[in-house]
Amino acid sequence: MPLLELNEVTIKFGGLIAVDSVDLTIEKGEIQALIGPNGAGKSTVFNLVTGIYPPTSGTISFKGQAINGKKPYNITRLGIARTFQNIRLFNELTVLDNVKIGRHCRSKAGAFGGIIQPPSVKREEKEIEQKALECLRLMDLDDKAEELAKNLPYGEQRRLEIARAMASEPEILLLDEPAAGMNPQEKTVLVEKIKKIREMGLTIFLVEHDMKFVMGISDRVAVLDYGKKIADGPPDAVQKNPEVIAAYLGKEVV
Amino acid sequence: MAFLDGLLPAYYESIIITVGIYIILALGLNLITGVTGQLSLGHAAYMCIGAYTSAIVSMKLGLPFIVALLCAGIVAAIFGIFIGFPVLRLTGDYLAICTLGFGEILKSILFNMPYVGGAMGMAGIPPKTTLLNTIIIALIVIIVMVRMERSRFGRSLVAIREDEIAAECMGINAFRYKLQMFAIGTFTAGLGGALWAHKIMVLQPRDFGFMKSIEILNMVVLGGLGSIPGTILGATLLTAIPEILRFSSEYRMVIYGALLVIMMIFRPHGLMGNTDFNKLAKRTFRVFNTNNNKDKKSGMEG
Ligand SMILES: Nc1ncnc2c1ncn2[C@@H]1O[C@H](COP(=O)(O)OP(=O)(O)OP(=O)(O)O)[C@@H](O)[C@H]1O
Ligand SMILES: [Mg+2]
Repeated sequence: MPLLELNEVTIKFGGLIAVDSVDLTIEKGEIQALIGPNGAGKSTVFNLVTGIYPPTSGTISFKGQAINGKKPYNITRLGIARTFQNIRLFNELTVLDNVKIGRHCRSKAGAFGGIIQPPSVKREEKEIEQKALECLRLMDLDDKAEELAKNLPYGEQRRLEIARAMASEPEILLLDEPAAGMNPQEKTVLVEKIKKIREMGLTIFLVEHDMKFVMGISDRVAVLDYGKKIADGPPDAVQKNPEVIAAYLGKEVV
Repeated sequence: MAFLDGLLPAYYESIIITVGIYIILALGLNLITGVTGQLSLGHAAYMCIGAYTSAIVSMKLGLPFIVALLCAGIVAAIFGIFIGFPVLRLTGDYLAICTLGFGEILKSILFNMPYVGGAMGMAGIPPKTTLLNTIIIALIVIIVMVRMERSRFGRSLVAIREDEIAAECMGINAFRYKLQMFAIGTFTAGLGGALWAHKIMVLQPRDFGFMKSIEILNMVVLGGLGSIPGTILGATLLTAIPEILRFSSEYRMVIYGALLVIMMIFRPHGLMGNTDFNKLAKRTFRVFNTNNNKDKKSGMEG
């Protein structure tokens, strides 16, 4: 059984078919990339998987269970976490608090518990903090724990988004252009981190424009063009695919 | 228990009680607008519900003050949930529009309700609000707010303010959290209203108009949206300064106006806050613009 499976998934925004009957299967432990020109519908696929939009038609299943139509907060609990193309951190909160919020779906104290603070809530709060620090260490951000998220440099903000997503203990991690805006050194660090996360047993679903990055790290690459999937396979095969080359004509394909 | 009574001249005692009541009111609004970022322009309406409820309970039903206080909070929270349930599902400033409308509707209902005296209001409410019980309740509210802010619940509220979509993707059911938060915030307003009613002993619907809501909002904004110490400071300054300087109440609005302009220029985050005041100002203007446009449209149709 594939970990994540999209079956003829379509979404329309008014007259625009942003994602058009896309089939996609992602096996456990893989690094699956999704590429395509601007506006091809890649981020929309992520928004569909994480429940931000319900698909117009088609089914999305995670570990054999249909998740289309479920709310984002329920999907996260099932083990799907993501980052955003246009960084969406909680800017006025500290780096540590950002990651603590990522732990939300694995903890349960409510308003009342927060006011009374019985030992069980205090214990849970300690557990949240430990796990958050662990995730920060994983992304080499533990020395920035007390800084405000908005004050981090761009590359570190991207890494913080990954740390925050990791705090929810996902089985699959969706990364929307994680290398965008990073310099070569930062990209090298990022590749290392993504490989480490995969070694931890996670599956990774990745959208990225940097072809060298994508081809170097992915097990499989799917290509989207005008909402349709036009290719899917190992990186070297996809690179040679004439349809893919046509879709990228005038654009850089390494 | 009455060791605080008579310790201070009655005049100062009265000012301190008023400060305490406004701290309670402002902290409730700070939770809603400052911490969670949900703009409410009708906090006085929930204060009003608390005031009238408590007056009915202690005057007409003859029950003890503590019962009146609890009923005030609970009934205000029920109305809060009633308004919040349809509105808080949506993102955007619908809450501002609805709370604004609700305040006005409530006023006209009370005007036409003989049971609570109509426009004449209710008089002869027993003077049960004392320095001691005001301080105790204010302290409880402060402690509750501080603890909540530092908890998983409070963090989630801030996350919703900062980025609702990202918050939902972290597993936060934003609607449920906003509704719970709004119930707590309006409960607090109800408590403040009950203390108010049993201090001034007379209630009239027009005491709880839009300007009262703005007065409370100013306290939160002056101190700094989202900051508990800031809100306490804002409530204290805006209550005490005009009283102590013996300005007439009309000047109060002039002071507010001047303070807000100065703040916008020199301290856009309030005295101690962490959310930009200019954002709130823009949102408030947007709410009024949409309202005006609607009026214009319906005017043209009519
Ligand atoms: N909420 C929405 N409402 C209307 N149209 C939308 C919405 N979201 C996305 N679209 C449209 O769907 C198409 C696909 O957008 P999407 O953001 O998924 O592209 P993308 O492949 O991620 O592009 P990029 O590489 O630029 O990030 C675009 O034409 C976009 O304008
Ligand atoms: Mg995109």
